[in-house]
Amino acid sequence: MKINPRRGALALLAWASAWTAMLAVDGHVDLANLAMLLVLGSTVAALWLPAPVSMAAAAVQVLAFNWVFVPPRGTFSIDLRQHALLLGALLAVNLLVAALMGRLRVQADRARHHARLADQLRTFGEALRDTGDPLARAPMLREALSDLAQAPVTLLLLRAGVPATDDADAALCLGEADADTLAGLWLALRQSTALGPGTGRHDELGAWILPMRTRQGSLGAACVPVDRDRPDDALRAHAQALCDQMGQALQRALAARQEREAREQAQAQGVRNALLAAISHDHRTPLATILGAASSLHDQGERLAPEQRRRLAATIVDEAGQLARLTDNTLQLARLDAPGVQLQLDWESAEEIVGSALRRARLRDPQRRVRARLEPGLPLLRCDALLLSQLLDNLIDNALKYSPAEAPVEILVRQQGAAVVIAVRDRGPGVPPAQRERVFEVFQRGSDAGQRRGAGVGLAVCRAIARAHGGELRLRPRGHGGSSFECVLPTVEPPPAPGEEPGP
Amino acid sequence: MKLLLVEDDRELRRTLADAMAVEGYEVLTAASLSEGMALARHADVDLVVLDLGLPDGDGEALLDALRHRQGTPVLVISARQAEGQKIRLLDAGADDYLVKPFSVGELLARLRVALRHRGTSVHAAVTRYAQGGLEVDLEAHRVALHGEPVHLTPTEFRLLARLVRSAGRVVTHRQLLADVWGPEFTEHTHYLRLYMGQLRAKLEADPTEPQRLLTEPGVGYRLVDTD
Repeated sequence: MKINPRRGALALLAWASAWTAMLAVDGHVDLANLAMLLVLGSTVAALWLPAPVSMAAAAVQVLAFNWVFVPPRGTFSIDLRQHALLLGALLAVNLLVAALMGRLRVQADRARHHARLADQLRTFGEALRDTGDPLARAPMLREALSDLAQAPVTLLLLRAGVPATDDADAALCLGEADADTLAGLWLALRQSTALGPGTGRHDELGAWILPMRTRQGSLGAACVPVDRDRPDDALRAHAQALCDQMGQALQRALAARQEREAREQAQAQGVRNALLAAISHDHRTPLATILGAASSLHDQGERLAPEQRRRLAATIVDEAGQLARLTDNTLQLARLDAPGVQLQLDWESAEEIVGSALRRARLRDPQRRVRARLEPGLPLLRCDALLLSQLLDNLIDNALKYSPAEAPVEILVRQQGAAVVIAVRDRGPGVPPAQRERVFEVFQRGSDAGQRRGAGVGLAVCRAIARAHGGELRLRPRGHGGSSFECVLPTVEPPPAPGEEPGP
Repeated sequence: MKLLLVEDDRELRRTLADAMAVEGYEVLTAASLSEGMALARHADVDLVVLDLGLPDGDGEALLDALRHRQGTPVLVISARQAEGQKIRLLDAGADDYLVKPFSVGELLARLRVALRHRGTSVHAAVTRYAQGGLEVDLEAHRVALHGEPVHLTPTEFRLLARLVRSAGRVVTHRQLLADVWGPEFTEHTHYLRLYMGQLRAKLEADPTEPQRLLTEPGVGYRLVDTD
């Protein structure tokens, strides 16, 4: 039994005061009054001492009272019957007071202890609720359990679901763990049962191994060292409650992760399905043309007029080019759709990008319908030149395809606040309001575009490219008919221009 | 002229070999890196057309070997996925590149340009350029457009001179920056944008649709050299 030194000193002080007072008034008051002072002293001392100590002390003091004050003084003998009664009553009252005070204190201590444990559970529960990653709170659990056990605790927590084998990489292990401990932890985890003293399973162990339970199974385990001969069931219940809190938090995190993964997978599946639909439709058409022309050349070559042969060959070249662009678009869309796509950003001049797009467009634009107009003094763009070229190629292609054969197509580049707007404008039939957002979806075309082909993924790629640059691609109807596809790209503070022209 | 074509796809190899043979070239073909290495070492070829993705290794290894031993021009043909590699190969000394799919006409045009430049690293470099009314004489430091002298600043002239020396071939941003401004400026792409803009303003009829100083988006520039 341990006595707190400060409390012991206070108790001694109470007794010393009582005895000083008794000696001081000795002779002036009768024995019964002196006895009251002794009762007072013992009662006060019992406030600070454990019950057995204060009871023993009370007995000793009653004996000492008998020796000092009860006649005949200086002996333990008692000559008067009433003195015996007094001493007996004194002893009984002292013992009773000591016992009562002791019990009160034990109850108060226990209440404080329970409050502390409840507080610990609550704090830990809140800490778990506040985090998306319960593993980050594992050190907190370990500290709490180590504090309870007064010894270092070992934790094993699964990073994801329960692995097929006891794979060290699948779990986070906190604290020292030898092979036996690890085996015990995995066993408790897999069987979702506690092991160790008082559990009825492996009572010979020097520790409790507690599973971190969920509604189904467990997602971790803790090894809590314990005195094998005197296991404290209440303490184990509390430790188990802490472990279960962690188990449930792990379960919640696991469920959230699985849900997120399932959602992402479904999304990826959706994009894949759309791409597959686009490929199967858009790619088949030029392929059919190529196959038709090529097989005609192959099978009927001798019988065809030279002019017919030339036309078939030209068709194959054109359609193969179309197919190549489609393939580029489809692949680019898939690439931009993947998470963490890397752009090759560099300082680019809008004039150059438009210029090279124009040059490529001329191959498909023999009548020179496409014209470009750039505002002077445009800032450099921070962008991926290949992606932006692809965006322009698609928009120009689209404009050429969906407008009458002689109508002009305009590329207009201008600065607008902190952005550069690249607009490709046609004089086609325009897009009805209901379709204006849908044209950017994979595999969508204007409703009356039945026999024209090809923009299935084109505009979707363009929008994905604009957005990958932190910009946007919009469709605006034009005043006297036609559409304007406008790519808005945010500008960035340009780097300093080269300094003084160096000498020749 | 003896050409070596290293390409693993059988159909493409045969098609390209036939097309080159029709133009009068003698064509050796290799389907793998090791075969290509052996032929390049033992047969005295004038030019190599090199595919990057080969079954037994990367075309880059052959380029390295050729660069270390002889000045044989190398024309890289690659799939679009190998964008970064393409620039690296150009920087490492490849003469030109074509992205698959490409037309035979394009391939033959690039072949002619590369063959014309063959050995320029050994023999006297190109010092004159005359095309579409633009005349550049590097030694005399003279530039004329349709007979009229054009005044260029020293940096503009150095930039144009660098392109003239590789006329018809793509010169990467990195090469241009290193040769015109210095090796510490290889990341300053914005310098190029500025000076190319100025050059075009002086040399192109319509700078928004250049006919001489062409942009290869994401790679570099090419001074037109038609034959």
